[in-house]
Amino acid sequence: MDVFGSFALILAFVCAAYAFAGGIAAIVTRHPLLIKSTRQAGIATCCLIFLGTFSLEYLFFTDNFSVAYVVSHSNRDLSTFYKVAALWSGMEGSLLFWSFLLAIYVISVLIAYRNKNGELMPYVGMVMAGVQLFFLTLNNFVESPFKALGVSGADGVMNFVSRTDGNGLNPLLQYPEMVIHPPNLYSGYTGFTIPFAFALGALLARYPGEKWIHLTRKWTMIAWMFQSAGIVLGAHWAYAVLGWGGYWGWDPVENASLLPWLTGTAFLHSVMMQEKRGMMKVWNVWLVFCTFLLCILGTFLTRSGVVSSVHAFAQSNIGPWFVGFMGIVLLVCLGAYLKNRDYLKSENQLDSVISRESSFLFNNLVLLVLCIAVLSGTLFPVFSEWFTGDRISVGAPFFNKVNIPAGLLLLFLTGVGPLLAWRKTSTESMKRNFGGPLAVGLLTGVIAFGFGFRAFYSLICLILCMFVAATIVLEFYRGAKVIRARSGASFAACAIDLTMRNTRRYGGYIVHVGMVFVFIGLSGAAFNRDIQKGMQIGQSMQIGPYTLVLQGADSKPEKNYTAQRMLVEVLRDNKPMMMMFPEKRNFVTNKENGTMVAIYSTLKEDLYVVFAGEDPETNLPVIHAFLNPLVKWIWFGGVVVVFGTIVALLPNRRAVLVLAGAPQPAAHPAGQRLPSPVALREGHD
Amino acid sequence: MIKRGQLVAMAALLALAILPVWILPAGAQQTDRAKQIGGKLVCGVGTSMCNCRQILTQCNHVGCMNSSAMLKTLDQKVGKGDAEESILQAFILEYGREVLAEPPKSGFNMIAWLMPSFYLLGGMVLVVLVISRWRRRPAAQAAGTSAAASQLSPELLERARAEAARETED
Repeated sequence: MDVFGSFALILAFVCAAYAFAGGIAAIVTRHPLLIKSTRQAGIATCCLIFLGTFSLEYLFFTDNFSVAYVVSHSNRDLSTFYKVAALWSGMEGSLLFWSFLLAIYVISVLIAYRNKNGELMPYVGMVMAGVQLFFLTLNNFVESPFKALGVSGADGVMNFVSRTDGNGLNPLLQYPEMVIHPPNLYSGYTGFTIPFAFALGALLARYPGEKWIHLTRKWTMIAWMFQSAGIVLGAHWAYAVLGWGGYWGWDPVENASLLPWLTGTAFLHSVMMQEKRGMMKVWNVWLVFCTFLLCILGTFLTRSGVVSSVHAFAQSNIGPWFVGFMGIVLLVCLGAYLKNRDYLKSENQLDSVISRESSFLFNNLVLLVLCIAVLSGTLFPVFSEWFTGDRISVGAPFFNKVNIPAGLLLLFLTGVGPLLAWRKTSTESMKRNFGGPLAVGLLTGVIAFGFGFRAFYSLICLILCMFVAATIVLEFYRGAKVIRARSGASFAACAIDLTMRNTRRYGGYIVHVGMVFVFIGLSGAAFNRDIQKGMQIGQSMQIGPYTLVLQGADSKPEKNYTAQRMLVEVLRDNKPMMMMFPEKRNFVTNKENGTMVAIYSTLKEDLYVVFAGEDPETNLPVIHAFLNPLVKWIWFGGVVVVFGTIVALLPNRRAVLVLAGAPQPAAHPAGQRLPSPVALREGHD
Repeated sequence: MIKRGQLVAMAALLALAILPVWILPAGAQQTDRAKQIGGKLVCGVGTSMCNCRQILTQCNHVGCMNSSAMLKTLDQKVGKGDAEESILQAFILEYGREVLAEPPKSGFNMIAWLMPSFYLLGGMVLVVLVISRWRRRPAAQAAGTSAAASQLSPELLERARAEAARETED
């Protein structure tokens, strides 16, 4: 099967090369058969990548320990569930997984648009094939996952061998979220290839702006949704597995995932300017280009060893390949832009400074500043070493100081933007829209301050969260009220009806609600507390309202590891409440340890208990307990963000009805361009 | 007279304002000195044992080989009542400058601190310039619009206006 997998990947490389080179020829010659054959080659490439990936999974499932990658990342006792995850646990497999997910996107695009956008699709197919070609080069010639296990003999000849068992999977990855988090994050990274292909293709083809932007927006939202889910799941994994009581440490690998999310978010906002007002075309194209480049940069950072991170893959010589690829992509983008920049001219003017357009400009500015600050902070140790020869660290305190004020400014704009009208906002309208939400925010601040809430940033964050929440509630209330006046249905039913009539606008508001929840959760970090103690059986310690009593310890042998559990009884107000079982896992095969945190989570706070090992001097088990307020809001916010994005992707109920009955306009004079009803109706806020 | 709907809306907004007081703790925890100073240091530097570079008091590297020894040293120094600056200097002497969790605010490294403010201020200036340029641009110069508009039939133009008005309402 390893030979079959290798062969499938080699064939995929050949097909991708044909799809790319044939795509260029098809664009030049416009020959229909050539266009068709390159599309078929693109589909064949994807199918062959699927075969290659399934072959590697088959090798894991059948415990084929003659393949080096399987030996390094699996063992016989590893559960089937984690054998799936073993695919992306190492460098070679993760790069194949990149190709696999990209292939799902590519084949979806090629099939979905096989009879549509005939002028644009050859360009899009060519760009997608180019990206696939790069990753297939890595899969085949740089980091092949199908290398046989070899041992150098005394005569210097390499002998192929097979082991009876493998080294096992990294214990940190043996957690259910590790089966979900990487696919989500990678789906985000790979998914941004599609908007990139459409943007570059449209620029090269000089394709009408409103069409490509409409296509791109959908794919960007899909990728953005996966990226958001991946980031939140990663944070939850760090929280639940690593046992340090936090969820975000500004580690280079975490930062790498945040960068394309920030530019993708900026694009999803500024794209509305282009759809509704024909503005910011250059900006939008470059946002899509930058988002894709940041995805590649993130993949590069986590695999090249340029920056130090415990979460990165092992160092390898893969760096120059990525640098070369990013350089080529940048040159192509720059060349395409310089050649066709006249096609990106803005179509409208700005009527007033106080308008939705301005708020989008500031929103984009803050998102970009956040992105550049995170990027420069992540890479600064490298630059500092180059220029001064002195290596420094740039850790969480720096990122918090720099990003928290900018994040709060962004939160403020989240509330302000939707309240401003396009073109111009009157003073009366501002008074009407801002009065209530502002009062709620300030009232919250006063009450919270009165109750002893003194952490500055958390207080500001709370005020802004309530301000934004109030603006959104008012938006739903006003819209639902109008429908209710006509239909007489309940407010909830009217709010749902309202959302389904304009999914993009109200789906967007739901995403904003999710972000408010996330910010509420983040504001709780200022109030975290913890206590650590070496405890004898029967001893107790107090944290907040909880008393933790160590009642005992036991050992639980499992198939792949042995768990050493602490039996901790939790009392609240001296009344028994529950038992918690924090544990350490000792993995037999690779002799590594893992942690399993016990968490009691409520909307108000998390009681987070870690068995932190034994005190080397007293040999007593050390229990580390944290009381982390509001953390659950972050996970809940993540779910709401994903839900809101799904809602925003749904078609409008009203749009479908209106379109069905809309009279077709009379034949237009040549060259006349009027935005189609679809474009107009879907171009909401 | 206040309508029932307005009363409901006001009650909902008031409830929204009071909600955080119910969910949030009253005050921040008193952080001890060791935790505060440890938050300014990273572990896993200046040694080949481990290269995790996590914040010392929040190290999430399972099996970190440095953090326990460093935390012990920190606790000892805090216990002796050493000043924060002297504790940090002692760690720099032992592990090098990269033991500090944030870049020093001097020399070349000052750039790291100035850059974000520079981006924000520079960006603000740029946005203001763009806005004023867009405001100055006469409608007739906007690419495509005027030319296309002159070719549109009044009926189509009216339809487009109606669509635009509906979609851009508050």
